[in-house]
Amino acid sequence: MKFLPMIFRNVFRNKIRSLFTAASIAVSLFLVVTLYSLITAQEESTDANSQANRVAVLHEAGLAGNLPISYVNRISRVPGVIHTIPMSWFGGNYREETTQFPQFATDAKELFNVYPELTIPADELEAWQNDKTGCVVGALIARNKGWKIGSKIPLQGNIYPANLELTVRGIYDGPPTMDRGWVLFHFDYFDESLKKLNYPNSGNAGLVMIRAESAAKMPEVMQAITAAFESSDAPVKPMTEKDFAASFMEMMGNVRGFIRMTSTAVVLALLCVAANTMAMSVRERTREIALLKAIGFNQSTILGMFLAESVTIGVLGGILGALGAKLLFYSVDLSSIDAGLGMFYIPWRTALWGLALAAVVGLLSGLIPAWRAAHVSVIEGLRKVV
Amino acid sequence: MSDNHTDAVVQLLNVSKGFTRGSQEIPVLTNTTLHIPKGDFVAVMGPSGSGKSTLLNLCAGLDRPTTGKVIVNDQDLGQLSEAGLSRWRSENLGFIFQMFNLMPVLTAQENVELPLMLTPLSRAERRKQAETSLRIVGLADRADHYPRQLSGGQEQRVAIARALANDPVLLLADEPTGNLDATSAQEVLDLLDSLNEQFGTTIIMVTHDPKAARRAKRLLHLEKGTFVQADIDELEHAR
Repeated sequence: MKFLPMIFRNVFRNKIRSLFTAASIAVSLFLVVTLYSLITAQEESTDANSQANRVAVLHEAGLAGNLPISYVNRISRVPGVIHTIPMSWFGGNYREETTQFPQFATDAKELFNVYPELTIPADELEAWQNDKTGCVVGALIARNKGWKIGSKIPLQGNIYPANLELTVRGIYDGPPTMDRGWVLFHFDYFDESLKKLNYPNSGNAGLVMIRAESAAKMPEVMQAITAAFESSDAPVKPMTEKDFAASFMEMMGNVRGFIRMTSTAVVLALLCVAANTMAMSVRERTREIALLKAIGFNQSTILGMFLAESVTIGVLGGILGALGAKLLFYSVDLSSIDAGLGMFYIPWRTALWGLALAAVVGLLSGLIPAWRAAHVSVIEGLRKVV
Repeated sequence: MSDNHTDAVVQLLNVSKGFTRGSQEIPVLTNTTLHIPKGDFVAVMGPSGSGKSTLLNLCAGLDRPTTGKVIVNDQDLGQLSEAGLSRWRSENLGFIFQMFNLMPVLTAQENVELPLMLTPLSRAERRKQAETSLRIVGLADRADHYPRQLSGGQEQRVAIARALANDPVLLLADEPTGNLDATSAQEVLDLLDSLNEQFGTTIIMVTHDPKAARRAKRLLHLEKGTFVQADIDELEHAR
């Protein structure tokens, strides 16, 4: 501890170099932490949502298949199932926009029972339930699009030939782990629109989302649902909400592998930059190191001092990069750019992991230079002085 | 050379030291024996390559002899490991260098405290001892100045204060006036003189300057790795 003041002053003796090194660590860690948060925020979100004991029932063929709407009632009768809703992805274009946001046809009476984390004022919920063409929208997308109660949302069908004319009747909210960028409307309105056009696929839901009585009952419920439709024309595949979310990540390819590979490359490049800085610092201070050794500083003390210097630079970069990313994504409202980004955040564990990674980068980058410092020859270091 | 060795602080017994360059063995010190009693102030002179610096390195335990023994303050330095030598140096030696070698990031006070950081002294005790050392060299009022804010002479006096801080048995000075103007050199030599006279500090000073050597109690002249008799007036005249 008594060497700390000297260590800190040596860290900042060449301010520009130290700040550039810390900045390169900060920028790299910002990138790594942000990339990793794509995974960890998703994991944290599904972990939090798994408390609701939800199961997604899909066609055995996956999202490509459809389930007859009658399944909703049949599934609701399976012991252990307490609430059931259909969910059909509409995938329409809003006005001239080409980027789609989540739009689901569902059951207005049961939705908030299946998703109890979501909140909505009672009068708005009632207004939605009583208006067939009404919809409720998430707080983030409402803010992003400037929607208020009464706003009209025209959706042009992309997957389906129908166009929908929706009216906002309520705005729901919820915890940060829940998607607050959905537009939810009546399944009946959606289905009737298809029927009017004699669309052959009407009367089907994309999936059925259920809420089980308890986590312990979920395997039993899933088995019972599978068995109930085993010999039907549309056999089903129930998945916990967590597995369902994971299957989405899989659909995106080996995202984890890509993120890990990119992060590893970034960290290795960073190691070289930081090690070069420390090596320069040692070279410049050969005489000082020799002096320290001459007056009695031993190798391990000098090794420790130089390692502490490089760890300090690493941690400084980590604070700027990892904690800076946490602060930035916390304070900047990404949903104003895109409602889908509103769910993105840097989990604390990822930010702290980034900080620890910065310290490890500092430590590893300092190893060889510090070892060289500890082994500086006093006689050569001081040249002919002593 | 002294014949009474019972009070010797430094003893070199049949010490030889050579370096290997390629396949060639280059002798630097040859079968040298030396006794420096406590309280002595010895100036070591000699041409470049005569072995002056090697002599200091051996006395400081920074180098080991090829043959023979180096005993300082009753400690055979050959018996100590590298870590043991580091600890021993921090407890027994003070160094003064031609280039001062102060830490630029530390104030005068902190530079003086540096060797004390290896001791179990508390921060307050270290501070007090460093203040005393700075007072001895007449720089108590410059305690908070950084080396870049001091003149060369002042820097060397801070270096002397640092060398004194741990109350060393032996002070090794390598051309302490070599980088100073005449006035500053005089001040530094006065200081070394008074340390030797008032505190009885044993000093070995390597110098090329006969005027500096005159301030010592004894002159040792090295020629090709062995001590030879020399008269300081002749040396001065030779320059």
